[in-house]
Amino acid sequence: MGCCFSDVRGGQEAVGGTQQRPIGGVGVGGGGGNNGGHNDAVDLFFRARGQHALFSQIELSLSASKLRDRDIMSKSDPMAVVYLRKGDGMLEELGRTEVILNSLDPAWIEKISLAYHFETVQHLVFHVYDVDTKYHKVPVKTLKLKDQEFLGEASCVLSEIVTKQSRSLTLSLHNKNLQVGVRNLGTLTVRAEESVASRTAVEIIFRCSQLGNKDMFSKSDPFLRISRVVESGGSLPICKTEVINNNLNPSWRPLCLSMQQFGSKENPLVIECFDFDTSGNHALIGKLQKSMADLEKLHKGRNGANFTLPSSHHGHEKVLKSQLFVDQFCEKQQHSFLDYISSGFELSFMVAVDFTASNGNPRNPDSLHYIDPSGRYNSYQQAIMEVGEVIQFYDSDRRFTAWGFGGRTYDGTVSHCFNLNGSPDGYEVEGVEGIMAAYAGALHNVSMAGPTLFGQVINRAAQIAGKSLSYNHSKYYVLLIITDGVLTDEQETVDALVRASDLPLSILIVGVGGADFTQMEKLDADHGIRLESSTGRIATRDIVQFVPMREVHRGGISAAQALLEELPGQFLTYMRARDIKPRNPTPP
Amino acid sequence: MANARNRSLEVTIISGEDLRINGRPIKNNAFVTVKAESRCSPSSHESTKPDARGDSYPYWDEKLHVELPAGSPYVVVEAHRRSSSAGDKLVGMAWIPVSDFVGDYTPENHLHFLSYRLRDAKGLRNGIINISVRVVTSSHKGASSCSSPLPPPVLESRMPVDREKHGGTVTGVPVWFPNQWKS
Repeated sequence: MGCCFSDVRGGQEAVGGTQQRPIGGVGVGGGGGNNGGHNDAVDLFFRARGQHALFSQIELSLSASKLRDRDIMSKSDPMAVVYLRKGDGMLEELGRTEVILNSLDPAWIEKISLAYHFETVQHLVFHVYDVDTKYHKVPVKTLKLKDQEFLGEASCVLSEIVTKQSRSLTLSLHNKNLQVGVRNLGTLTVRAEESVASRTAVEIIFRCSQLGNKDMFSKSDPFLRISRVVESGGSLPICKTEVINNNLNPSWRPLCLSMQQFGSKENPLVIECFDFDTSGNHALIGKLQKSMADLEKLHKGRNGANFTLPSSHHGHEKVLKSQLFVDQFCEKQQHSFLDYISSGFELSFMVAVDFTASNGNPRNPDSLHYIDPSGRYNSYQQAIMEVGEVIQFYDSDRRFTAWGFGGRTYDGTVSHCFNLNGSPDGYEVEGVEGIMAAYAGALHNVSMAGPTLFGQVINRAAQIAGKSLSYNHSKYYVLLIITDGVLTDEQETVDALVRASDLPLSILIVGVGGADFTQMEKLDADHGIRLESSTGRIATRDIVQFVPMREVHRGGISAAQALLEELPGQFLTYMRARDIKPRNPTPP
Repeated sequence: MANARNRSLEVTIISGEDLRINGRPIKNNAFVTVKAESRCSPSSHESTKPDARGDSYPYWDEKLHVELPAGSPYVVVEAHRRSSSAGDKLVGMAWIPVSDFVGDYTPENHLHFLSYRLRDAKGLRNGIINISVRVVTSSHKGASSCSSPLPPPVLESRMPVDREKHGGTVTGVPVWFPNQWKS
């Protein structure tokens, strides 16, 4: 069934350095559109080493007003502490502000940094304390909070702050026990700012001269691999160029690297030039170490930097004649995902639930659709909650589309796209609770049937996404398909996916139960093989992400979260390719 | 009927993938022609410049204008290779249904990014072509079923990038990104 030959052409493509073209990928024009710099292999590589490759760094600024006065002779001396509430309820301190003397309306200067993770719901808890006079000269970090006067607590979710246009939220302070009727404790205002690094990107054109010849009967087939030096001493690859065949003086297509990838302009980067070999054993032609700032200097001075090769003698490096040139170095600001979101762009959530007979009778505790009276979620409910809970903050009206497929509805016919709420004309429900209620209701009214077909659901979603383009370009649709089984008509699904591939739509598929999902993995075209319809049309971009629910992910994230991680990248690729900018943007 | 109008299309030929002749990847000088398939007398066709540098994965990023008469069901895209010794050889063609970019729920002037499988003269699969299509103007169909010959469309193509200035490389700026280099 599988091919014995590895995907040589796929292996020759550029990875990691985004190009804002929707199709033709990066470098040598191959492979399904580079997904905003995302590549599953690269991401897994980083995560396995405890690093998240792409995320936004956020800084929180706090201020408060009308704080309670605890001191007798003067006003309170307030300080704020910020925590992250973890899954088990424990609070993890993220940072604290400085102490401001004698004020009930403090505006703290010290900011608290944290990473914004789109795929999780980040619960923030704020505590405000009045710091006693005897601790005023002591570094804030060493203060024992139980010795201080507690002034009030507030909490919110990070997404609530970053999705607002003002990027700030004002919360009422309350007691830890949330007692009703306690007098006013004042308010706390939290402002979130994305660090400049989130928006900075550099577009570089590399060229080499006089590369060594590693091939026997022809010239080398060179490509560059760029790695970032990390504190532990090693280096992590961040991107590679495409392979240029048979050329000792190659010039590669432009590489676009975001500051999140290379760290900072001073961070040393290792640039290695290899000769591509189909066996995977690429011969090192030469390497050098330069920071982005060094590369900028090379560009300005139109100078070349010499490659070196580690020598077998005495650990010295041999300096080669081969040189690296930077023909273009362009630093630019790109709008980040949060720039779009806070300017009014929205994610519209749609969910489709599998009602085929293979799930089993819902009344049977073995069924994938069994609703446990103890309240424990089944796989379907879990997937709906995990994805819905995150996305709901990005949809202002919280009206979600909910469908079922493969079930026999009230009129006795099997439908491959019916409204989950049982209504004949409205497919929308309110909030994630609305989806859960419609799902539970449908289990009573719809009988399991079959076969497993996605085509209709995908076509309907595509229709909605396409129609929305007549009104605005600021809605991006996310369709979550939860299924237990193997597709009956793969070509029908592929045809629907290809037709939908040029629309503002991403499709997340979660596989529940123990079936063999190999076929689903083919739809998730991460190997560079673009989906082809029966009419000869090829998918414009890879809009499908698939994950089996039972798959364990490193770093403690769930399967659904793994799906969500890709979304900001897919959203940005779509918007940037069409030069759609955030509304009324502040200059980046 | 969606196709009851005469339309002007702006077709950007972006790139090609894995183009071969007789099973071997082509070396260079691939170019593409576009025309509307019409029942009437042959409509004029537009072509890109040959990509001298790119091998079997050529890159053009060239905008061409195509007049699409009412009732025309397909836009035909052909990839060829120009060789001074052997003349032009057909690499493959793709027949693009007009319904892929007209009347598919998207607004009339929406920019569509499309890709198609090329098939050679024997009908065998031969690479992929990546294009974008946008309907620029449309006017209602005239009385006759076959539109009268339109004035020859202006051949519009971009000037190739000066190799010396940019160090021998295409800068890869997509045509629809006019503000790419603003810092």
